[in-house]
Amino acid sequence: MDNTKSLSDEDKAKVQQPVTPIQTPPPECVNPKDIRLFRDPPWKLRLTIAGDRSYLMVRVVRAAPLSQPSRYICFLDEKNEVIWTVEDPSVLDADTRRILEEELDQRYMTAVIEVINSLRNEFGVSYWDVQTNRGNREFVVRNVSESAQWVSARRLLLIDVDGNRFEIPDIDVLDKRSFGLIDMVI
Amino acid sequence: MQPFIESLPPEVDAKLQSAKPSEEQVLIQVSADFSDDQAYGEKWLVATKLRVLVVPADGAVEEIPLDAIQDVKTEELVGGGCLVVERKSGAPVYLHYSSSLIPKFAEVAQGIGQLSKGKPLELPTEMERTRCDKCGRLLPEKDSKCVACIKKWHTLIRIQSYVNPYRVQLTLVVVITVIGVLINLLPPLITERIIDDVLIPLSNFNLLVWLVAGLLGAYLFSWLSEIGHTALSCWLGFRAAEDIRAKLYRCLQFLPIRFYDKHKVGALISRMTNDADRLEDFIAFEVPYVISNALLLVGIFCLLLYKNWVLTLYVLLPVPPIVLGGIFMWNRLTRFWRLWSARWGRFSSHLNESITGIRLVKAFAQEDRESTVFDRHNDALRQVNVSGNRAWFVFYTITNFLMSFGAFFVWYFGGKQVLGQEFKLGELTAFISFLWMLYQPLRWFGDSYNFMLRAFAGAERIFEVMDAPSEPFDNPNARNIPKIDGRITFKDVMFGYDPGKPVLRDINLAVEPGEMIGLVGKSGVGKSTMVNLICRFYDVTHGTLQVDNEDVRNVRIEDLRSQIGIVLQEPFLFNRTIAENIRYGNPEASFDEVMRAAIAAEAHDFIVAKPDGYDTMVGERGNKLSGGEGQRIAIARAILHNPKILILDEATSSLDTATEKKIQAAISKLIEGRTTFAIAHRLSTLRNANRLVVLDEGKIEEIGTHAELMGRKGLFYNLVKTQKETSAVMAVGGGKEDPGSE
Ligand SMILES: Nc1ncnc2c1ncn2[C@@H]1O[C@H](COP(=O)(O)OP(=O)(O)OP(=O)(O)O)[C@@H](O)[C@H]1O
Ligand SMILES: [Mg+2]
Repeated sequence: MDNTKSLSDEDKAKVQQPVTPIQTPPPECVNPKDIRLFRDPPWKLRLTIAGDRSYLMVRVVRAAPLSQPSRYICFLDEKNEVIWTVEDPSVLDADTRRILEEELDQRYMTAVIEVINSLRNEFGVSYWDVQTNRGNREFVVRNVSESAQWVSARRLLLIDVDGNRFEIPDIDVLDKRSFGLIDMVI
Repeated sequence: MQPFIESLPPEVDAKLQSAKPSEEQVLIQVSADFSDDQAYGEKWLVATKLRVLVVPADGAVEEIPLDAIQDVKTEELVGGGCLVVERKSGAPVYLHYSSSLIPKFAEVAQGIGQLSKGKPLELPTEMERTRCDKCGRLLPEKDSKCVACIKKWHTLIRIQSYVNPYRVQLTLVVVITVIGVLINLLPPLITERIIDDVLIPLSNFNLLVWLVAGLLGAYLFSWLSEIGHTALSCWLGFRAAEDIRAKLYRCLQFLPIRFYDKHKVGALISRMTNDADRLEDFIAFEVPYVISNALLLVGIFCLLLYKNWVLTLYVLLPVPPIVLGGIFMWNRLTRFWRLWSARWGRFSSHLNESITGIRLVKAFAQEDRESTVFDRHNDALRQVNVSGNRAWFVFYTITNFLMSFGAFFVWYFGGKQVLGQEFKLGELTAFISFLWMLYQPLRWFGDSYNFMLRAFAGAERIFEVMDAPSEPFDNPNARNIPKIDGRITFKDVMFGYDPGKPVLRDINLAVEPGEMIGLVGKSGVGKSTMVNLICRFYDVTHGTLQVDNEDVRNVRIEDLRSQIGIVLQEPFLFNRTIAENIRYGNPEASFDEVMRAAIAAEAHDFIVAKPDGYDTMVGERGNKLSGGEGQRIAIARAILHNPKILILDEATSSLDTATEKKIQAAISKLIEGRTTFAIAHRLSTLRNANRLVVLDEGKIEEIGTHAELMGRKGLFYNLVKTQKETSAVMAVGGGKEDPGSE
């Protein structure tokens, strides 16, 4: 839980002091403009690298959904092997980018908590009743103070007992009551 | 009630009725908790013998005739999943749901699959409960107890249940306490007599002597009773705490592996040490005082009322605000001490990890960073300690201040009564002595209040572990199989560490007693998982796993495990001597047997070369041995265990080829008459196997003897070919490696 935090510290450190890059085999040279995502038929996602090859049943995933949500997007083929990783999707053409966003929206069902209606903590189990961007929801987290994951200093990820994910992008933005409730348990 | 027929709200039901012929029986009727792929809401899936219907809360019903269905599957997403009904032509139908419903929809997908293939519908008749039957709250774990329904004072009752076995001693403590309390009430009464009958009338010296002697006696007895009381209650408290620790440790030992997947070792250790310590202090030092002080309070209170009830009411004036304050503080303080316990957990988990991994920390020169992390945990601990104690201290001082108000009232109103001759001077002094005696326990309650809440927070964490379901060791229906033949059968086994994310699928395999099976496949394909299932570290999600034609779930775990010998992928050794490690499974084994096992495992030579030979301490986790030495000791341990089922998970991966070959010879003798599962990446290791099972993507891809698989030119053939090529490159230095081809 804490190593995510220290990792980001480490990242900072990396930016500050130059590290000798490791010699890796040069990544396959693909011009981002050659990458095209499209749906044909409309329920099947395909990817082509222009003038080279084409893939059926492609999946789009984030390499680091928490720390790098909008960068480092990977395209996986049917066998879960990475076809290509795009560092910054803005270099892709508009249609491909739109489809990419749609796919990511579908895959990550994490809800963003906006207001906490009630929160009770008993015997190491906390009962949450929250308003999220997806609607209202109740959930249970075991051992919040141990299991809540601080993605950064103010950003919190909660995973409930079933594996549902709830995110608070910035706990300072929460209204006072919600903040007070959170502050009580974490 | 069938779990897969959920009731519908009336308007949805109406919509459904108009969408299907009314005589068609509903077979599956379940709700999803997403209205589309984005928002929470409700959507229903209904299946009959002829069609599948998707009914949204608003909008049109979507109908898919069963014969138009190509395939039904579930797709795993992050934080949820999606049921995909693929049609023979046209767009598939999707139904999104959250992670909570993954188990349900995994079954539903299978059910619809069965229906569309014209097979009879087979669904589990019971699903795990997710909500409490009583209060309807979500349960922290499926089928577990509802913690919210356990009352707060339940903690106290449970703590008390650990004192129960020592009822006799407890009664004795209480008796001694009562005597002590009664004796403690004497001195003020005697001084009252001295003032009113001796000092004020200025006469009666004889009486004075008797009274003073009585006073002395009272103090003497009070001192004696205090000694007895303290000694006994300490004994009692430490005993109870010992019992709690023992129980906790046993619980930890018997908890399933799954539990340890979820909890951090350091945090568990902190429960064992810190939280148990708090509880111990509470039982040993606080509980006896609570009892005696409570009795003292009652006694004094009655006396005061009897002496002068008007004055007593004045004394009580500050009590209501104090009680209110106490109630208010309960939650605040509990919160702090819970937080404190949780932070201790994190602190201890970091400590455990960084000290265990000290070699790695040093290798990467990260001492500074680990220390910084430590400082942060340490600081967090101090912060909560300070805030908690500050909150309590404010409460404590205010309480004290308020209580001294009572004394002012008594001096004022009591003095007035004495002046008015309604009350004697001696009585007033006695009254005031009692008053101070009353305040003492009251103040003390403020003090122990803090301790009590702290102990409760710890007790909650301890009981949480104790309440976690343990492995069903005492399943009364389990069959005794003292002598296993070693027939292992996988029937349609599906298994995933997380529901809805199968690691193994459709595993069908019948292994005869005495057969040696080689498990082959890419890293992460599920080889270790398969042997985990055989040891019953985890239970299959679907299908059955049988040992001697009996479902493993019905075999006594003890019988099963005591007849399995396992060499794990990362051999674990305890910080004991080499001989003790080899003897771990059979502590009774003679030294001769230990040595023979070591010889068979090719370990004897290197062991005797050590200065302490078999009595060498191996260091924590065996870190004073080389990787290969550790593996050989683990093999010797399995050999000595003399199991009917032998599992070798990469047992010889750290050995050079020459040593490995020697061990191979030993193993080939060893496996005679035992069912063996061997996992190896170096395919030459599996040369002795009767059959090889090649796994790919969680499924069995090929089964057959080495020659058969080579002849088939499938996956295994390719594996062997690649390995040959790579080892040809690696063998340039002259090593002669033969990757399994005859
Ligand atoms: N305790 C666990 N909790 C969750 N997932 C797990 C757990 N143990 C293993 N897995 C996952 O299950 C899959 C199969 O793991 P397994 O250990 O069976 O692989 P393996 O075939 O033994 O690989 P290797 O050859 O590398 O030992 C992997 O994807 C792994 O990440
Ligand atoms: Mg493995």
